[in-house]
Amino acid sequence: CSSFLDVEPTDRYTDDNYWETEERVVASLNGVYASLLHNGLYGGTTPLYFENLSPNAYRYQGDYNLVAQGQHNANTALFYTVWQGAYQGIGRANNLLANIGKVEMDESRRKRYTAEAKFLRAVFYFPLWNLFGGAPLILDATNDATQSNLPRNTAEEIYTQLLRDLNEAIPDLPASYGANEKGRATSGAALAFKARILLYARQWEEAAKTAKEVIDANNYQLFPDYRGLFYLENEGNEEVIFDVQFKFPEFTHGFDINLDQYNNIGPLPNLVNDYYDREGKNIGQSNLYDPAKPYENRDPRLQATVIVKGSLFKGAVVTEGQYPRTGYGQKKYTVFKDDIPAATIPDGQSELNYILLRYADVLLMYAEAQNEAYGPDQSVYNALQQIRSRIGMPGLSTSLSQDELRREIRHERRIELAGEGLYYYDIRRWGIAQEVLNGDIYNDKGQRIDTRRFDPQRDNLWPIPAIAIQENPALAQNPGYGN
Amino acid sequence: QQTKPLINSTLSGKVQDAHTGEAVAGATLTLEGTTHRATSDGNGRFNFVTGQKFPYTLIASYVGYKTVKLVVNSSDIVVQLEPDLNELEDVVVVGYGTQKKSTLTGAVATVDSKFLSNRPITNSTQALQGANGVYVNQNKGRPGAEGNTIRIRGVGTLNNNNPLVLVDGIEYPLSEVNPNDIESISVLKDAASAAIYGNRAANGVILVKTKTGQKGQFQVDYNIYVGSQRSTFKPDVVSNAIQYMEGKNRALTNEGKPAEYGTELLDEYRNGTDPFIYPNTNWFDVMYRNAPIQEHNLRLSGGGEKTTFSLSFGYLNQDGVLIATDAKKYTLNSNVQSDLNSWLKIGANLAGTFWNDRESAYTADEGNGEGGIMGLLYRGLPMQVPYAQDGSYADQWVRVPGHNFFRNPLALSYEGFRRNHRYRTLANVFAEVKLPLNLTYKITAAANIFFGREKYAYPQISLTNPKTGVVTPMGNIPARGVKQIATEGVNLTNFHTLNFTRQFGDHSVNALAGFSMERFDDSDFDAYNQGYLGNELNELDAGSTAPAVGGTSSQSRLQSYFGRINYSFRDKYIFEANVRYDGSSRFANGKRWGLFPSFSGAWRLNRENFLAEASWIDNLKLRASWGQLGNQNIPLYSYVNAISLGNNYSFNNNVVPGTAIIQLADPSISWEKTTMTNIGVDFDILQGKLAFQLDLFDKTTSEILRQVNVPAQVGNLTGPFRNIGKVSNKGIEVSLAYQDAIGDFRYRVGGNLAYLKNEVLDVKGNIYYDGVTIIRKGDPISAFYGLQSAGIFQNEAEIEQHAFQAANTRPGDIRYVDQNQDGIVDNNDRIVIGNSIPKYTYGFTLSGSYKNVDLDLFFQGVADVDTYANGNLAFPYRNGAGVTNEWLTDSWTPENPGARLPILTTSSGYPQNFLTSDFWIKDASYLRLKNIQLAYSLPGAWLERLHIRRFKVFVNAQNYLTFTDFKLGDPERNLTRANMIDYPNYKSITAGVNLTL
Repeated sequence: CSSFLDVEPTDRYTDDNYWETEERVVASLNGVYASLLHNGLYGGTTPLYFENLSPNAYRYQGDYNLVAQGQHNANTALFYTVWQGAYQGIGRANNLLANIGKVEMDESRRKRYTAEAKFLRAVFYFPLWNLFGGAPLILDATNDATQSNLPRNTAEEIYTQLLRDLNEAIPDLPASYGANEKGRATSGAALAFKARILLYARQWEEAAKTAKEVIDANNYQLFPDYRGLFYLENEGNEEVIFDVQFKFPEFTHGFDINLDQYNNIGPLPNLVNDYYDREGKNIGQSNLYDPAKPYENRDPRLQATVIVKGSLFKGAVVTEGQYPRTGYGQKKYTVFKDDIPAATIPDGQSELNYILLRYADVLLMYAEAQNEAYGPDQSVYNALQQIRSRIGMPGLSTSLSQDELRREIRHERRIELAGEGLYYYDIRRWGIAQEVLNGDIYNDKGQRIDTRRFDPQRDNLWPIPAIAIQENPALAQNPGYGN
Repeated sequence: QQTKPLINSTLSGKVQDAHTGEAVAGATLTLEGTTHRATSDGNGRFNFVTGQKFPYTLIASYVGYKTVKLVVNSSDIVVQLEPDLNELEDVVVVGYGTQKKSTLTGAVATVDSKFLSNRPITNSTQALQGANGVYVNQNKGRPGAEGNTIRIRGVGTLNNNNPLVLVDGIEYPLSEVNPNDIESISVLKDAASAAIYGNRAANGVILVKTKTGQKGQFQVDYNIYVGSQRSTFKPDVVSNAIQYMEGKNRALTNEGKPAEYGTELLDEYRNGTDPFIYPNTNWFDVMYRNAPIQEHNLRLSGGGEKTTFSLSFGYLNQDGVLIATDAKKYTLNSNVQSDLNSWLKIGANLAGTFWNDRESAYTADEGNGEGGIMGLLYRGLPMQVPYAQDGSYADQWVRVPGHNFFRNPLALSYEGFRRNHRYRTLANVFAEVKLPLNLTYKITAAANIFFGREKYAYPQISLTNPKTGVVTPMGNIPARGVKQIATEGVNLTNFHTLNFTRQFGDHSVNALAGFSMERFDDSDFDAYNQGYLGNELNELDAGSTAPAVGGTSSQSRLQSYFGRINYSFRDKYIFEANVRYDGSSRFANGKRWGLFPSFSGAWRLNRENFLAEASWIDNLKLRASWGQLGNQNIPLYSYVNAISLGNNYSFNNNVVPGTAIIQLADPSISWEKTTMTNIGVDFDILQGKLAFQLDLFDKTTSEILRQVNVPAQVGNLTGPFRNIGKVSNKGIEVSLAYQDAIGDFRYRVGGNLAYLKNEVLDVKGNIYYDGVTIIRKGDPISAFYGLQSAGIFQNEAEIEQHAFQAANTRPGDIRYVDQNQDGIVDNNDRIVIGNSIPKYTYGFTLSGSYKNVDLDLFFQGVADVDTYANGNLAFPYRNGAGVTNEWLTDSWTPENPGARLPILTTSSGYPQNFLTSDFWIKDASYLRLKNIQLAYSLPGAWLERLHIRRFKVFVNAQNYLTFTDFKLGDPERNLTRANMIDYPNYKSITAGVNLTL
């Protein structure tokens, strides 16, 4: 009589009947990619909002402002969201890696799927290494009985695993995919990501070597139009090494409304004033700079990145007060054209891919690592010149010292990658965060709008989220933070 | 020619109420020693062919009156019936049967139709308010979707605490029953009465009996009321734009930030005269309204010797107190029962309800980011107006950070819609067969069928800037489109019972055995489309782009065996045992079956010889019971380790299917078990004038099913349901009622009080946090958990001396207690700061009548309970939202150091004063006059002339008076909901007529 009570779910697979076909392995791998869209990683507006933690931009409220003000603590929700996103992706990658061996399939494809999962696992472990400075290192299928109480591993242990995963992935990944699979991990993506990690870890020789492998493979080149690089119609262009894929209406974010109407990233004069004039001179020393027309004759990347008063945007002249937070708006990563009127795109209906790794970044990584490892050489100038040529900026003087060149590389990196959420990582690894993140910040009229604090003893790392410690008291807190 | 019988006297006369002289319809008249009977008609008249010779003894009886015997000598007599105050002989509905109130061994609370009559009850769950030991909390008042929480004897489990509701024996939502069709409600509170419902009974069982016809009379009842409702509460919001802006500037200055509104703008606003450009809008005045309500009910009932029937129709038309919300309800209930012959009785009950409600597509129930239309209302600002000069919907022109887009709530209310159509049908048929050996077999088969169709029409709206005249589309609302959701649920029930009743001298035995099978099939289907050319057409086919579909189905089943034996000796010693053996598909094979026994006994002391002299005692009964109950109420397939579909991704804009494990499951879970002991006393004296009841209960729920948190490091998975712990609810329930008459003035006062102590006994060493509440050993379930405040810092020196709170702590900030004295205030300093389950719930009724006038009052209250309020308007200037007046007048400044509130800041820009702390815990106790009713019945003499049995007019006020210290909202709220943006509760005044023909 118990057969009356036998009822099976009809809308899901179970652990017992799932791992049977290659099709399901691929679906499971797709599910790992889907974790890239988690709000703590590259979903929502998260990757861009990292700008607000840097001297590039200002968010007038919320968690990003608290961090910038040095008022954050272990309860600040941002940290837990990132922590959750990272471990969601790690868990999914681990489940795939633990089960892929059960399914019969072509061995080369098994290797490729495994390599994709390892690349993604490295992407997910990255914040746990860089931002939290170490966290439990978990590589097996999700299991609450064995994994719930694990304490933190050191940053070094995570770092070792990041490199191991990427090194194992690189040989098994293809250099490119067909049109229907574009967006999957490539060997170039794994190499470029490895270069970024080595650069952040100040492993200059290795970083230079790895970046050079990407360059020498000759699979990527700079997209001719710096602004157009971020247009919807140019998604997946020749400069893109790895991008997080969005598509309306299924997979969306809110870049357009948050950048334009909400002005939630307010570029700061500190960034705007850092753009050189057209001749490559600091505006303090410029012959072209006119304080009455401060945005003319500047590095073209300024107006490709920042919306300034009096310029044309969305087919209309930008008025005073249109971007009230700092006087500036961020243009990069909006889909709007300067000369074409456009309606508001509601929150959660934007679909432009977020570029996690692009070729210009690799060139800059190479330049920086090569200069740090070996001092100025022609290959460094060549790399920089490629980037400057694209936007018609003159070349650098080739007689710079290592220090002078370092300053130029750092400046170039800030300007080229402004608005992409990377500068926060740079100022921390360069050890200059306490210089550039302490003190008052101002709007375009020179009025103070806020005060920032950065404690180098504490703020180079984020606190382990209070909720994570609450759920697993074995997690030790970072120095300077309460629970 | 027919021969007339030799003796054939005819008796006619009238039955009337001895006090009021009102005709009593439906009274039964019999001659002693014969089976002849007659029934009085609508005017109390009867005509009786007796076949007997005068004199003889006539017995007249009617429910609610004392039975009289009188010797009759001649025809046309008046029979005076004395009202019977004693309710002991009333019959109470219990599981799979009925029992006399006097011989009950368990704890059962009842509500009868008299208590419910004429209250403007829009939802039958409100009918339970006032039943002893039952706590009904109406936390929102949207027509058609009122939020009513029912708790019987506290909160026993950590998950679903809703009781099992059975209508005429079939599981059915209480909210779908027409209150006018309710004959009685029984609430089975203790294990003895509820155990026969096994693994669904742990939260208590509510049995609803619907009305049936009376033999021998045809009756038409028509009830109508009409009235008006308004919200019970409006926040004390700053609606003066200058005050709002100056206050915001002050808040930002206090935070060390520049002012938001320049003197230029403030001056312009001060001097502005155009009320569309320079408004001072109170959005609650714009969005709330006085809303009409009306309800009609028509019931035709009656019966002959063998068959009775009842047929009723109901119509409710209720507008919401929030603009552009309304609901209509149509109900039908038909009930037929027939004694086909001496051994077979059959019956059928067919009930149908159709609800049709409407609200904004920006629904209050689902959020939409800001909590829907109510969320937007709580963000309304004085500088915003609903309409521009030309009558078009207005945009805002003063830009407010955090509030960059004005989603005009009035426009979103009137344009587009969410319409919900719900059809529910209950078809219930039974056959009862009298078998030899005093056995009765009954088979019942029923189908409870639900179909819902919900449609969202998301509009596109243009807004006019009242200052510039520029027209722009409203920003950041869902794209214009249509979403339609079809939901279907079928619940089939089949049960068989075999009943045995026999009296052996002083011994009476009643036994029941039964078997039941139930299956529940649910499915849903939804579709969405965009690409509409306007807001007018809202069919899915009228759109053209971005279509999307979804749908799924699920099943669950129950199989049960049950039995009961009731033995009584001279109605003095009563014993009862119940058992149910229950299998549920919600658990894995091998974990499905459970046995739920109960035992109870009662001793009626007044039947003992030593109390035989005490004739003033009607009833003195001691009751005791022990039993076990189950709870299986967790989501389906919770034991299955599932791989979820729909974790998709896209490559180069091609969507690909993705799967992932997103939730852990524990295949070893089983139902939770509640063990309850109950001891009670019933004491009725003075011929029913005084009634007293006391119950003590001890209810322990073990193997509690709880979705446990798993640390995020384990794949950030949702935790599994597990049998984790033990919770105790101990309580006392007392009720006392007194009724009497002074001449023509009759009165009744009654009250009940329940005390409840809730404690988590064991959660296997774990602590479960859920936002601002905590579940851990030794505390009540879901106790509020946060920092303890110790006043407000007055100066820098005090801050210096105190433990570190935040880098920018300043005078005017809340001082928190450093519980562990480690010099830093953080999460480790949290303690239990409040209690979300009321310790005391109480209610009382006051009724009086003088001749034809009745006055009834019903109060309900809770005491010793807290709530935590945050969010827009509970906290100031949250993310561009408004502020309440007290923040501008009673917040800390150096000049006002004794202020109640800390220094004025924006809550989103300055979190340290808005951490979860006892500073924001509020006492949520209240006492509310739920209902007051004044009625006048037309005198019998007038009615007779009009050939009407009853004509009563009444006025009724609901929720009109509330005593509470809670100032941020209606205290009758969902106490663990932190924000204040539920659809408002309403108070109403209605007037109506009861007419019986």
